[in-house]
Amino acid sequence: MPETVLVIGGGPAGLEAARAIATIGGKALLVERRAVLGGTPDESNYAALTPRMGSAQEALDVLRAGVVDPNIDVRVETTVTGCSGSVGDFAVTLTGPAGETKEHVGAIVVATGFQHFDPGRETQMYGYYEYPDVITLPDAEKMLSEHRFVRPSTGEPPRNVAFIQCVGSRDRRLGNEYCSKVCCGVASKEAIEIRRLLPDTKVYIFYIDMRMYGYWENEIYWPAQEQYNVTYIRGIVTEIVGKDGRLLMKGEDTTMGRPLEVLMDMIVLSVGMEPSRGTRDVAGILGIEQNKYGFIATPGEPMDPVSTNVPGIYVAGAAAGPKDLEDTVGMAGAAAMRAVGAVRGLARSEAAVTR
Amino acid sequence: MVLQARYADVPIEEKQRLFDQVKADERFESYLYGCYECGICVAACPSARFYDFSPRKIAQAASREDLPMFYEQLNDDIWNCSQCFSCTRCPRGNNPGGLITIMREVSINNGLTSAKNALEGYGRVVYKIMSTGTQVSPDMLQPNAFPDWGPHVQEISDNLALWRRALPPDTMHTTSTAWEVDDKTLTELYLIWHMTGVLDMIKQVDTGLHMILNDVMEELLEEAGFTPE
Repeated sequence: MPETVLVIGGGPAGLEAARAIATIGGKALLVERRAVLGGTPDESNYAALTPRMGSAQEALDVLRAGVVDPNIDVRVETTVTGCSGSVGDFAVTLTGPAGETKEHVGAIVVATGFQHFDPGRETQMYGYYEYPDVITLPDAEKMLSEHRFVRPSTGEPPRNVAFIQCVGSRDRRLGNEYCSKVCCGVASKEAIEIRRLLPDTKVYIFYIDMRMYGYWENEIYWPAQEQYNVTYIRGIVTEIVGKDGRLLMKGEDTTMGRPLEVLMDMIVLSVGMEPSRGTRDVAGILGIEQNKYGFIATPGEPMDPVSTNVPGIYVAGAAAGPKDLEDTVGMAGAAAMRAVGAVRGLARSEAAVTR
Repeated sequence: MVLQARYADVPIEEKQRLFDQVKADERFESYLYGCYECGICVAACPSARFYDFSPRKIAQAASREDLPMFYEQLNDDIWNCSQCFSCTRCPRGNNPGGLITIMREVSINNGLTSAKNALEGYGRVVYKIMSTGTQVSPDMLQPNAFPDWGPHVQEISDNLALWRRALPPDTMHTTSTAWEVDDKTLTELYLIWHMTGVLDMIKQVDTGLHMILNDVMEELLEEAGFTPE
């Protein structure tokens, strides 16, 4: 029986899962679609991590160092293109630079992550593809990683900036009914960074609810409001129209009970999470259930957040739905434990039970 | 930030100047952190039950530095607060009532017409408390200032001494003080009014009252060796 666990995806969840598998004496085969490890935080130029502002690349380097191990076989530019068998003996087809190979693995950890919502996917209501000064959280992140924040249209620093929350989240019309969990924190973090870089720039955050759970409350939300004078206004913008080279946004200031029409230099759309292409593809190839949003289903929640509906296949991180990094890395450890248990015949063979 | 605001004719620089005075007050920092806009202060506020008044909006406008709204509040809202500080149950540690204290002081120090109007009815109360140390006296009421106290106030005021004598308990038959305050206490009291700037504030809203108070205080202060300066 193969002792190896296949880990699909080289982002934070996959890196930590592979490291954890090797740490407890198992063998991991880690495959990554891109040429480099690091996943979405790397691909989307994350600069400072929420909430503590530590460097994303330094944090990823720690995870990357964790998979330098004789018991971890790392294959980049490689994807899973076929799978058969069952727990204890899956036969998987990997397609990489050297062509197709067949591997036998005892269990699988899916760590294929998410992608940022595309604001042009269904609707152009915020003019993301029309106005250069309408950007997204990852666009802002890229600029902040270079320690600058300017209007793309002019190259000048903005006088005022507005974040619009819940773009592509909590929206029945779009089909993404869920909260993406991290955007409130990330927007507040970026707002702090903008205020640090540009002390004369006014920064507004337009929200439905601020969801700053746990310590994000006092580590991000309070400092943003109290020390950096970021202005939070409850109300979601209806539309943005260009006016005199600036952006006129229309909404309601709901707690003040009056309509609102303001000219902004820049608007940042706080885009949420959707299942990545890899998550959708891998779900089909492995034959595991997805939920109605396309994320990998975890029928054993709340007590078992890592088992899929197929015995021997586990999921870690944002492939299973919106996750912050703490949850992602925690899940990776749990998935690694379950997977190694499965290849050693220690795990219950039945699929996750709905509780 | 808003479409419409009252006092659109007042220049934004003036609104900024007054806001800066509020923000520069050393208490400001510990009276305002951030606002959840949760409304716990409004729920606790007795004034909010009877007036179109919201301590939440006071905190919000200050927090957002919304100058048009701040200026509206400075003129139209702050005198509706009863300064009971029930609003200090704020989960963020804000003190909207304290912000209003600062705003009232700024309003008076700048002689805003709204402050003069709001304080007009209190001339006699201010006079009593500043000259005698107690506002509680039979003649404390200005019959023209408190219509909500009923039509009999005028009638009673007109014949106050007579009503006073008609009361069964011993009232010393006085109408201007409730009890005797000794000169040492009064001297100290007058010094406090001078040294804390309260007299200067009175000057901004009521020059007549300021003059009368100065006259009343002069003799005792001079006896104690203090010159008007």
